[in-house]
Amino acid sequence: MDFLSSLSIPSLPILPLLLILPILGAVFCFLIKNDRRHTRHMAILFSGVTLALSLLLLYDISSRGYVESESYAWINTAYLQMNLDIGVDGMSMLMVLLTALLVLMVAIFSDTESERSNSFFALIMATQAGLMGVYLAQDYFLFFIFWEVALIPMFFLIAGWGGPRRHYASMKFLIYTHVASMIMLIGIFMLVITAADGGVLNFSFEAVKAASAAGLFTTTFQVVVFGLLFFGFAVKMPLVPFHTWLPDAHVEAPTAGSVLLAGVMLKMGSYAIIRICLEVLPEGAIAWQTVMIVLALVAILYGAYACIAQKDLKKMVAFSSISHMGFVLLGIATLSGIGIQFAIFQMFAHGLITSVLFMVCGIVGHNTGTRDIPLLGGLAGKMPIFAGFMMFGFLASLGLPGLIGFVAEFGVLMAFFDYLMGIDVLWPIVFALASLMLTAGYFTWAMQRSIFGKETTKIDMSNVHDVNRREGVALGLLCALIALFGIMPWLIMDVLAEMPLVLLGVV
Amino acid sequence: MMDLFGLDLTIINDVVKELMPIMPQVILIIAAIIVPVFGYGKRKGITAWLSLAAVTSALALTIFLIYDSYSGSFLNLFEFNEFTGFMMLIFMLVLFLVVLISLTESENRKHSGEYFSLLFVATIGMTFVAGATDLITLFVGIELASISSYALVAFRKNDPRSAEAAVKFLIIGGVSTAISLYGMSLLYGMTGTTELAAVADYLAAGDFTWVYIVAVIMLIAGFGFKLALVPFHAWAPDVYEGAPTPVATFLAAGSNKMGFIIFFKIFLIAFVAAQTVGGVPELQWLFAILAGVTMTVGNIIAITQTSIKRMLAYSSIAQAGYVLIVLAVATEYILAGGLFHMMTHVFMKGGAFIVVAALCARGIGEYISDYKGLAKRAPLVAAAMGLFMFSLAGIPPLAGFASKFILFSGAVTAEGTWIWLVALAVINSALSLYYYARVVKAMFVDKGATTEKIRVPHSFKFAIAICAVATVAMGLYLGPIMEICEAAAAAFFAMV
Repeated sequence: MDFLSSLSIPSLPILPLLLILPILGAVFCFLIKNDRRHTRHMAILFSGVTLALSLLLLYDISSRGYVESESYAWINTAYLQMNLDIGVDGMSMLMVLLTALLVLMVAIFSDTESERSNSFFALIMATQAGLMGVYLAQDYFLFFIFWEVALIPMFFLIAGWGGPRRHYASMKFLIYTHVASMIMLIGIFMLVITAADGGVLNFSFEAVKAASAAGLFTTTFQVVVFGLLFFGFAVKMPLVPFHTWLPDAHVEAPTAGSVLLAGVMLKMGSYAIIRICLEVLPEGAIAWQTVMIVLALVAILYGAYACIAQKDLKKMVAFSSISHMGFVLLGIATLSGIGIQFAIFQMFAHGLITSVLFMVCGIVGHNTGTRDIPLLGGLAGKMPIFAGFMMFGFLASLGLPGLIGFVAEFGVLMAFFDYLMGIDVLWPIVFALASLMLTAGYFTWAMQRSIFGKETTKIDMSNVHDVNRREGVALGLLCALIALFGIMPWLIMDVLAEMPLVLLGVV
Repeated sequence: MMDLFGLDLTIINDVVKELMPIMPQVILIIAAIIVPVFGYGKRKGITAWLSLAAVTSALALTIFLIYDSYSGSFLNLFEFNEFTGFMMLIFMLVLFLVVLISLTESENRKHSGEYFSLLFVATIGMTFVAGATDLITLFVGIELASISSYALVAFRKNDPRSAEAAVKFLIIGGVSTAISLYGMSLLYGMTGTTELAAVADYLAAGDFTWVYIVAVIMLIAGFGFKLALVPFHAWAPDVYEGAPTPVATFLAAGSNKMGFIIFFKIFLIAFVAAQTVGGVPELQWLFAILAGVTMTVGNIIAITQTSIKRMLAYSSIAQAGYVLIVLAVATEYILAGGLFHMMTHVFMKGGAFIVVAALCARGIGEYISDYKGLAKRAPLVAAAMGLFMFSLAGIPPLAGFASKFILFSGAVTAEGTWIWLVALAVINSALSLYYYARVVKAMFVDKGATTEKIRVPHSFKFAIAICAVATVAMGLYLGPIMEICEAAAAAFFAMV
């Protein structure tokens, strides 16, 4: 550790660089016209450096309690104070790592988008800029800007490179999530204006937290504002019944878009619930606790139940995301330190696993020409390596012990059980456990029908080839990480141990 | 004593000092007289360049006066302060952009001298409204601007659409003027004065009477037509669609704002002056309802439009609804936000109209379907149009987002009276993204019939570039412009 800390360069402004590099990457990618390989290499270069920098940041802050922030003056007028406040703690550090990692994987994986590849990779880098900003921002104005900025490139990715129903799906995605963001904006206004108490409107997280600690937010206020903010975040997560944009958007998006959507974008919602709702409005959280638990259980069960009915492999994976994000909310809703930590763990785990799943779906769709489960069958014969990856991903997702998904769901369930013991009502655990069976069911059933058994005769299998090198590299790396963190979960728990005390001490 | 050829030069100094508050207008007045003369010469192009020179110097002088924090009044009728300066800046900017995009066409157009002259006269009228301290000045300014606008809309005499639009505009404008003038006369009858500040003093002391109520209704209805508030909005889409596109730009980006100043002056100063003694809740509620209806109806009808100009017209109506929130809440902060939104609206709406005008000049139709595949044919223009659309929809980090952010946050007060209005505005703004994004999708995602490149005239390119830069810059760095808006709002409330 001494050696490493002596290596790191403290004077390097890593935090702003994490925002600037993706933007620069987007510009450079866009400028290289009509050269597929070069744009992809440019994207890999920029996202690789970004990942390296975020790892460096992790090392840099591990010795300092996982907290780092910087502030640059921006807007200061008689009424307004909005500064470029950026920072990380354990939770946002993990999300930054996940973003950087998945964008790199996506850049390595994507080569099939032959048309307008410069715009394609530029949009991926622009999405990364937005996502990084959301996880780094420490100022509500900045936070909201990045929250929305992430939306636009994703809209173009779906609309420009998506499947047959992309026009409908992209528009629905854009409007649905934008409406939710605007409602969340009212919540932000109320927070900041009440915190300012007639003075200068200071949009920094710090100022609002201070107001919360000083007791400026009454219980009624907290309940109302929690509701407004929670709605905005719940649509993003998404929770049933606000999930209908997700299956459309995920199914129609290109593989890279789906990976970023499910892997990192959904986490914006749960991240914000913890960062804003829980940290600033603890009394509101207590008032909404039961609602959150019910919504979480509904999402978990409904998502899993819907999966069974799906014929399209990608749509099934999309619905499984709803189910798994339900676990995140379940962890958060326990309002205990351990529950929140494992909720974040589940966010990270789901980010890795779902990326594997969407990449697998992308390969099936590309190589065989269809993702329809009834048309597939016996893929393992022609595509053994692919079948291996698919099995690994599916098993990780259904929570096989030894892989990362198990640790996360185990932890969330443990926290939930602990909470139920506390209130002396045990039966709701049944719903959570039932979903585990459903999940195991639909995943194994889908595997059985698509990769095992006799080779299908319904589609032409003569030209089908196995995973190629770039796909193999991306999938292999992700699978290795899934196994690594499954065996050594403390690598992540150490980062998460350092969280705002408010969060660890709620209730 | 300085003298030249026996003339006492100090007299010139005195005249300049006397005229200083209206100096930018004086430049425009001189230009409005001189430019048509050149229009009868052989080289018609010179009228355009002369006009550009005049408006540039007027704009520069306005900026200088604002920078200098100049204030002064002319004959107790016109007061130049930070608020007047800010509004004059908006009008001069619009005029500058419109003259700029009229450069290329003026070469081969008949009567280009009169065209520029009318533009100047209309702008002079608007600037006088901005600085008016008296109902008479206010009315003269409005009429100066309106009558010139009727003629401008009819400028393509041989085009039946232009003529029809002008007739509609003229009749509705005339009726609304009559109604509002009647309202003003009632106000004068009640108070015995035409000075706004004196009217305010009188009303603050008095009670509600039936005359008062009739006057308010007359004024709101009369000026509501000018501002195209729902339900007085039906003329706007027809006029914007029928008018020559540079004139539509002028009306949408400029005239629109004059309506707001009238509302601010009459209602914020004369009626809500009593704010300090408890406000006029009935009036504020009336405006809140008007704002809510205007933005909702504007947005909903805009969704169904297939013509870009009509869509932009309805979007202007919706944007007017947002700014109307200022009258409901009536605080200094929200007025600053409203002024900021008016400023950003110049560039995003003006920019959008200029793009439409530029494409019209190159034979592209006015329907959204005509814009398919535009990103291939004119990538930079399409990118700018995308910026304007997203900015109008309020997507960060663009100017339209920043100004809506300030405007809507201003309505969230500690008492929470207007929270329903904020919610309505925010949802409206979110839904409006649908019709703006449709244009963006047509340009960038849909495939067009041809990929033939479009060459946009240089003057248009320059104007579009100005708007695009302003749209991005005011969004990313809103500090300086917000400070000007705050100063203007403070100066406005100091007039009470």
